[in-house]
Amino acid sequence: MYEKTILIKDTDTKREDLTRQAYTQILDFLRHNDQHSRIQVVRVADIGLYDKGLVIKILPEQITYANVKEDDLKRIADAISFNKGRVEDLVYKPKSKQERLVLKNCGRIDPESIDDYIACGGYLGLKQAIELKEDKVIEEIKTSGIRGRGGAGYPTWMKWNFAREVASDQKFVICNADEGDPGAYMDRSILEGDPHAVLEGLIIAAFAVGASKGYFYVRAEYPLAVERINKAIKQAYDCGLLGQNILGSSFGLDLEIRLGAGAFVCGEETALISSIEGKRGTPHPRPPYPSVKGLWGKPTVINNVETLANIPQILLKGGAWFAKIGTATSKGTKVFAVTGKVKNSGLVEIAMGATLREIVMDICGGTLTGKPIKAVQTGGPSGGVIPEHLLDTPVDYENLQKLGSIMGSGGMIVMDDDDCMVDIPKFYLGFCVEESCGKCSPCRIGGFQMLGYLKKITEGAGNINDIAQLKRISYAMQKASLCGLGQTASNPVLSTLKYFEKEYIEHIENKHCPAGKCSHLVTYSVIEEKCKRCGLCFTNCPVSAITGDKEKGYSVIQEKCIKCGKCFEVCKFRAINKK
Amino acid sequence: MIKSIQAKINGILLRVEEGTTILEAARRVQIKIPTLCKHPDLPASAACGICIVKNKGSSKMLRSCCTPLEEGMDITTHDPEIVEIRRTVIELILSNHPNDCLKCARNNDCELQKLTADFGIKEESFPQFLKDLPMDQSTKAVDLDPKKCILCGRCVHVCQENQDVWALSFLERGIKTRISPAGDIQLADSPCVKCGQCAAHCPTGAFVEQDDTVKVWRALQDVDKYCVVQIAPAVRVSIGEAFGYTGKNFTKKLYALLRRLGFQAVFDTSFGADVTIMEEASEFEQRLLKETRPLPLITSCCPSWVDFMEKFYTDMIDHFSSCKSPHEILGVLSKTYYAQKNKIDPASIFMASVMPCTSKKYEISRNEEMFSSGYQDIDAVLCTRELVRMIKQAGIDFENLPDEESDSILGEYAGAGVIFGATGGVMEAAIRTAHYFITGKELKKVEFEGVRGIKGVKETEVDVAGKKIKIAVAHGLGNVEYILNKVRDAKINNKEMPYHFIEVMACPGGCVGGGGQPYMVTDELRIKRAQAIYQDDSNKQIRCSHQNPYIKRLYKEFLGKPLGEKSEELLHTHYKARPIYTR
Amino acid sequence: MVRLTPESLDKISKEPCDKPANWIKVGMSSCGIAAGADEVFNFLSEEVKKRNLNVEVKKCGCQGNCYAEPLVEVSIEGLPSVTYGRVNRDIANKIIEKHVIGKMLVNDCIYNTVD
Repeated sequence: MYEKTILIKDTDTKREDLTRQAYTQILDFLRHNDQHSRIQVVRVADIGLYDKGLVIKILPEQITYANVKEDDLKRIADAISFNKGRVEDLVYKPKSKQERLVLKNCGRIDPESIDDYIACGGYLGLKQAIELKEDKVIEEIKTSGIRGRGGAGYPTWMKWNFAREVASDQKFVICNADEGDPGAYMDRSILEGDPHAVLEGLIIAAFAVGASKGYFYVRAEYPLAVERINKAIKQAYDCGLLGQNILGSSFGLDLEIRLGAGAFVCGEETALISSIEGKRGTPHPRPPYPSVKGLWGKPTVINNVETLANIPQILLKGGAWFAKIGTATSKGTKVFAVTGKVKNSGLVEIAMGATLREIVMDICGGTLTGKPIKAVQTGGPSGGVIPEHLLDTPVDYENLQKLGSIMGSGGMIVMDDDDCMVDIPKFYLGFCVEESCGKCSPCRIGGFQMLGYLKKITEGAGNINDIAQLKRISYAMQKASLCGLGQTASNPVLSTLKYFEKEYIEHIENKHCPAGKCSHLVTYSVIEEKCKRCGLCFTNCPVSAITGDKEKGYSVIQEKCIKCGKCFEVCKFRAINKK
Repeated sequence: MIKSIQAKINGILLRVEEGTTILEAARRVQIKIPTLCKHPDLPASAACGICIVKNKGSSKMLRSCCTPLEEGMDITTHDPEIVEIRRTVIELILSNHPNDCLKCARNNDCELQKLTADFGIKEESFPQFLKDLPMDQSTKAVDLDPKKCILCGRCVHVCQENQDVWALSFLERGIKTRISPAGDIQLADSPCVKCGQCAAHCPTGAFVEQDDTVKVWRALQDVDKYCVVQIAPAVRVSIGEAFGYTGKNFTKKLYALLRRLGFQAVFDTSFGADVTIMEEASEFEQRLLKETRPLPLITSCCPSWVDFMEKFYTDMIDHFSSCKSPHEILGVLSKTYYAQKNKIDPASIFMASVMPCTSKKYEISRNEEMFSSGYQDIDAVLCTRELVRMIKQAGIDFENLPDEESDSILGEYAGAGVIFGATGGVMEAAIRTAHYFITGKELKKVEFEGVRGIKGVKETEVDVAGKKIKIAVAHGLGNVEYILNKVRDAKINNKEMPYHFIEVMACPGGCVGGGGQPYMVTDELRIKRAQAIYQDDSNKQIRCSHQNPYIKRLYKEFLGKPLGEKSEELLHTHYKARPIYTR
Repeated sequence: MVRLTPESLDKISKEPCDKPANWIKVGMSSCGIAAGADEVFNFLSEEVKKRNLNVEVKKCGCQGNCYAEPLVEVSIEGLPSVTYGRVNRDIANKIIEKHVIGKMLVNDCIYNTVD
């Protein structure tokens, strides 16, 4: 067996890859010094650090060396082989690491096995809750300071307390698994990877509030999540964790799954309730709030998947433990789904207060395309863009709001120069217009009109007054819409106007899209140096806007070009310039 | 004990009962917050977003129509910021609404138009885009123009929750949302019973009564036509609202008006009501004493109720009175009895009626029995709102007309005839005469408080010669289920019938709250209109239908006796089971 | 399954969590399955059975490195636990032959080490 393992990866992307070279050199040294049978050397695909030059990691000691030069290799190999301790000047301490609390079981246990879950401390939180009794449970949640992870960030203990205080013959709890933000899949991963954690959280919530019936409202587009929750619920019933007299107490709970039917708006609490009641999924005015008068007029607590997944550990380790993590106003960790023009897209769970730069650069490896990052979009269709120069902002509810965005459910989309700051809000607004329930005029008509203006601008027909109109409608939608969808639909527009108004002006006045995204506003031309004169663009142009021949070469007749992008598509040599 | 709370609105301190909305509370201090989708008769749907107000210390704006005023709130209802947002929302609504006010049936009587004018909106700031949706004129009573719909949701609420008919619903979502029967079918194929409550509550020209004024004008101008007209009880106490009078009885001026319009004879549906009572009270007597057909007996003068029964409660067909409505009875009598007595060719008679109702437009061609005179018994139905338009067109100073009398042959009525317009009125009128038919004695007190009032279901008992007659009165079709479930339950379990006699009016309040009545009805208005009707009754010398000398003459000269051969031929009808969806 | 009591829960929780000693976990959430983790899981299960190896092949949820799916975490006694990424049939075969049987980590395929 190997005593030690040396992992090697060159993380510098701008020069030739030195991984193999370093590997060979170290292996040579070990062989030369007869250490190769007790020390293993491995080239890895990813070492968890980025742009830190040549990185070497030693196991089991967990020592990381970064920016290692060729001359340093011998020293390192020497120190490892002959137990000479650490090469201090090369040691690298990673700043922020992921803290997988909610995701602690995801990727570790079999989500379809309740035995796995219990073996890792499962349902001890529920046991603790029953021992503490309802009031103390809510106390713990209050101490923890946990806020709703669905996007609104409402203090969870308050919601539970309101419902607890209302006298009623029946109370309900609902897990809101209707995750609808484009690009967000945190809830899906939690449901697919650790359904029992969410289940335990929901049972604890029901106990604290006094509910005897609960629902999982899952969007129908998550069949695997539905399957796994179904299995989890059945297993819980079989083990006596659902039904009557749970864990020997007088508390009982029955759970059911209800499927969504393709409506983003049904993630909003009152619309969700309408949907479960079998009615058209439209929001209703609040007050009364669901905690007081919700499903079928009874007190109802609705919590997001991630919120519930946090609950068992808060009960087990105490609210004070949770409150130590995060910032003063935003406690605990948050799971982010980082996607877009980033190298390592995936789920990142990190304590509140980590900066956007740490998340995007340090953990997710920075830009995918090599082009510099332009902005990071957070909060889905209700959020806004954070430009590059503000990426050192610590992430928490209040900070993101101050910048004109929101935390939202955790979607984070990284953008570079090829992303157009007029096209992005157009996409999000298009989503909101499609998903609007249509009940209130400001959202139904306002969203549609705003989309019209954005389409005009991206097609080259905008005029400078359109920006004022966009702002005017945005404001009316913010203040007069009935629910969060309408109230926040204009955020992407307002946010991009705040930081990237120049791009709008460029589209309007110069009829030009700097990112090269808006197909009506790009100019296609032939890059002579790259052109191999194959004539593919010429034969494929639907309006014969390309002129020339195999001897002289080809060029685009701008006046005839309809900007369909076909030439760009078919050219095998990337000889068409699109900008 | 309802708690009271204290708060400020526009700096004015006020105290209201807990639960009062900000909108209502503001009215108490003479502040009118603008609204659009809110109707005083219905709960708030919170759709339009125009009634928003600010509360100090919060950046959110609240919808005053549905948000209760809370202790310590400091509300601002009007400031430049709020007004600008309201303007933007109105302009957004207008950008999706046709611009043809001048040609619209609601011109000068439209809530959206009024709001736009109040806000002084003179530009179209946003690009206009209209819905590409066809009109639905299939019911021949109420027309739907989805282009004008602002999706306030009032019609859906009224049709689903109040009337329990469920002919209307929201289809699709977002910008494509529209009102239509479920399944995207025509209204005529849907459960629609043509009660017109949708039209009565619609803020714009989306739901409008079918216009029959043109037909009537043409007839009046046709020298070959002998035009006669009847007015319903509920019209006389509500037409004044168009001229600023609430709860005032304009009967005699209406007679004068109709003659000025060119009608050659002016009748009164209340007379038809008296005939209905003669027939129906006899029916009741027969069923009660001779058990010829089952009890309870159910009134049939409301065509929406008949339609509703034929669609949803076909097991009640046997219980329905076979008597036609007063409206149709007067129609057929005008083209037979009246025509014969005055030697007029019935083919030349054009019978128009003024009803509080849109359903009567459907009733006149309901089946071939509506042609028992040999011609269409009634040629055109105008609802109250249409008559108001005709008055303005004709340039008549209505409120100052001298009083006139009706043509008494079919126009002189007993008090019992006019109370048909209020919920419980048919029942009360029927008891007055049924008591006489059964016992041979006249009642000392002819008023029955137990059947009056706007409670949705009224259950009471009447003593007729020592026998307790159990009565139920329902108005608003949503209240029918309770009563009929009791009847069905008794049938299944072989129990004693819960009632002997049931009256149902489709519209809340009875005919005074009809689908064709002036807009902005509330329970307060319904009560006022009913009070005026009951006043008309108390002022009459003759209170009971069977005491009406003109009724006696009708039977002596023409009909013979109630339920006789002539009556059966002209005054009675049959029902057909046309089930649609099971209940 | 047996109905749980507070006592039985306590008892179970005191037992060690991650057993057995040798295991392979394949990420089988929607992200993994979309990248082909299904086939990798089946292949590994069959190979282990065919070659009679003392390794348990399990499915697990999403680890978080979604860009590198299919992810396969391997824990063999005597070697550090590592996660291989972008695993295809070829790499899965190498995992069996080199890592499980040969007791040597596979080059160029590791995406994460377990701390």
